[in-house]
Amino acid sequence: MNSVEISHIVKTFGSLRAVDDVSFAVDKGEIFGLLGPNGAGKTTAIRVILDIFKPDSGEVVVLGGPMTEAKKDRIGYMPEDRGLYQDINLERCLIYLASLKGMDPAAARRQIGEYLERFDLAAYKHKKVKELSKGMQQKAQLITTLVHKPDLLIVDEPFSGLDPVNTQMVKDLLDEQRARGVTIIMSTHQMHQVEELCDRIVLIDHGKVMLYGNLEEIRRRFSGHAVLVRATGNLPTVPGIIQSEPHNSATRLMLSPTTSPQDVLRALVAQNVNIEQFEVALPTLDEIFIRVVQGEESET
Amino acid sequence: MKKFWRVIAYEYTRHVLRKRFIFAILSVPFFALFMIAIVVITFILETNTTPIGYVDHSGLLANPLPAPKPAAPDKPVPVQAFASEEEARSALQAGDLQAYYVLESDYLDTSRARLVYIHEPKRPAREQFTSFIAVNLLANYPPEIATRVIDGDKLIVRSPDGKREMSSSAWFSIMLPFVAGIAFFMAIFTSAGYIMQAVVEEKENRTMEIVVTSVSPNQLMMGKTLADIAIGLTQLLSWVLILVVPVWIARPYIPMLSTIAVPPESLLLILAVMLPTFVMLGGLMAAIGATVTESREGQQIVGLFTMPTWIPYFLIYPLMSAPNSPLAVVMSFIPFTSPLTLIIRSGFTVLPFWQIVLGVIILVVCAAGSLWLAGRAFRLGMLSYGKRLPFLDIFRRQVQA
Repeated sequence: MNSVEISHIVKTFGSLRAVDDVSFAVDKGEIFGLLGPNGAGKTTAIRVILDIFKPDSGEVVVLGGPMTEAKKDRIGYMPEDRGLYQDINLERCLIYLASLKGMDPAAARRQIGEYLERFDLAAYKHKKVKELSKGMQQKAQLITTLVHKPDLLIVDEPFSGLDPVNTQMVKDLLDEQRARGVTIIMSTHQMHQVEELCDRIVLIDHGKVMLYGNLEEIRRRFSGHAVLVRATGNLPTVPGIIQSEPHNSATRLMLSPTTSPQDVLRALVAQNVNIEQFEVALPTLDEIFIRVVQGEESET
Repeated sequence: MKKFWRVIAYEYTRHVLRKRFIFAILSVPFFALFMIAIVVITFILETNTTPIGYVDHSGLLANPLPAPKPAAPDKPVPVQAFASEEEARSALQAGDLQAYYVLESDYLDTSRARLVYIHEPKRPAREQFTSFIAVNLLANYPPEIATRVIDGDKLIVRSPDGKREMSSSAWFSIMLPFVAGIAFFMAIFTSAGYIMQAVVEEKENRTMEIVVTSVSPNQLMMGKTLADIAIGLTQLLSWVLILVVPVWIARPYIPMLSTIAVPPESLLLILAVMLPTFVMLGGLMAAIGATVTESREGQQIVGLFTMPTWIPYFLIYPLMSAPNSPLAVVMSFIPFTSPLTLIIRSGFTVLPFWQIVLGVIILVVCAAGSLWLAGRAFRLGMLSYGKRLPFLDIFRRQVQA
C-alpha cells in the first residue's frame, strides 16, 4: 500500500509552471528521495502533498485518501525553512507545537523530555530558542517533527547545519523510523546520503519528473557499458575495449557495444591476470544527477 | 476544535503573562494617579496659611461672621482684623501676614477695597477673603437667599428632546465620550498591534509552514485574532476595574463623584461604533502583517492607518464648537475618522439617528472588507519568508492556498 500517491499534478504560479504533470508513489515504510536542482519544484510538490497548496489539476492521495485535518496529526514535516518560536523557551515551544499535533500537553512534556535527553538538549530546555546554536535548533526542529510519532515523515534537507556526529545521529534516527514502519520522504542535495538511505527516488527538474524508480536500477540504467577492474600489475590488452582510464585505484574499461562484461572477465582470466576487483561500473548518484540535469538523459 | 483553543491559550498567555503587558496595564492608572497627585500637590503648595489681615473703616466687619470653610483641597487661611493700617503694615513687614485689605469708609457704596502686599497672595487667600466679605454682606438676608447667592449661578443645557442635559456639576457626561474613546482606541490598537505582530512573527520565525501543517490556516488566524481581541479587552477591563471601582466605592464620601453617571445611550453609541472599528483595524493590521517581512516594517506602515483615526482629536475645537457643521458630518462617514468624530459630537449635540446608522453601516462594510483583505493577504503572504508582498498584489494575484 502506498503512503503517498500523486498523479499528474500541475501547479502554476502566474506564468511559472512550478510542477508540471508530476506523478510518483511512495511505498509504506520506505525512505524515498525527492531530488532535483534548486527551483526544480520539490518544495512545491511537498506543499501540494501537505495541502498547503491546492494543485491546479491532478490527484493527491495521502495515507489512503485526501488530506484531512485529522491526518495532519499523523504527519511530521521538517521544512527547508526551519522555524521555531524564537522568543520563548525551548520546552514551551516544543510542547506548544506538539499540542498542535494533537498531543496532550502532559504527554508531550514527557516525550519531549526524553528526546531532549537523547539530543543533549535537556540542559537548554529553559533557554530561549533564539539563544540556541543553529545545530541545536536543527535538533529541536527534529524533535518537533518526530515527537508525535507520525506515520509519514517529510524532511527537507535534514542534514544541513549538522556536524558529522549529529549527521550520523540523524541518519540513525531515520533508519530507526523506517524500522518502525514510518514512511519517509527526504529531499536533499547530499547525494551520498540518498545513496546510503533511500530505497527509491524521484528526480524533478523544471517541474517535470526526469527519473523515477529504484535507486539501484537507475544506477544500472546509467552504467554506460563499462567495468571497473583492479589487478596486480598492468592490465593486458583485451579485445572489445574501446577506452581505458584510471579510476581511483582501479581502471575503468569502456566496452564496445558488442562486448559484454563476461567477455572481458573471461579474457582476463584466460590471460592469468591476478584480479582483485571486477565490477560493472555504476555511476554515482551525483554523476547521474548532473547528467540528467544537464540534459544528457531524460525519462518522461 | 481543541487545537483552536490551544492557539488561543498560547497566544493569550504569551502576551498577557509578559512583564511589559502588566506594566502597560498598570502604567495608565499610575499615570492618572500621578496627574491627580500633581494637581493636589499644586493646590496644597498654592495655599499659604499665613493669616490675611484687614482694616475696616466701613463698619461692615464690626461684628464679623466667620469665613466659610474652603472646599478641599484648599486649606483655611485665617482672617485677622487690625484697628489701623500702621498695625497691619507692621504685621505684614514682620511676616505675620501675607497681605491685608483696607475697606474704606465708602466701601458699601463703591465695593472697592485696597489690597496691600509684599508678595502677591495666591488664589486661595483671595478667594477665602472674598467669601468672608460675601458672608458678611449677606448677614441680614434669610439664610436660603444668602446660601443661594454664595453658591453662584448654575447653568444647565438641555437637548431639545429633553433626553440629555449638561451642567458644570454633571461634567462627566461631557468627559465620558473623550475618555471612553481614548480607552477604546488604546485597547483597539493594542489588540490590532498584537494581531499584526502575531502574523509577522510567524513569518519572522518561519513557523507558518509548520503550523499550517498542524492546524488549518482559518483555525490559526481565528484563534490568534480572538486571543488578541481578548488581550485588548483584558487591558480595557483592567483599566475599568482599576479606575472605576475606587471611584464607585468613594462616591458616597466625595460629593463631586456622585455626579458621575454613564448615560446608556452613550454606551450604546460607543459599542456600536467601536466594535466594527475593532474588526476593521484588526483586519487591516493582519493584512499588513501578512505583507511585510518584519514587525519594525509593519509598525511604520501602521502609522499610515492610525494617524487618520486621531484626526478628530486634532480637530476637536471645530467639532466642539460646531458639532453639526458639514466638516463634522462628512468626517462622521469617513471610516477612519468616523469613530471618534461620532463619539466627540455626541458629547455636544444630539446626533441625528440617520447619521449614526449610516456611520455604523459604513464601518461594518469596511470591517467586512478588511477581513476579506486580511484573508487574501494571509494566503498570499504567509509563505513569503523574507520577501515583501506588494499591497496591490493582494488584489491582483490569484490566491494560492
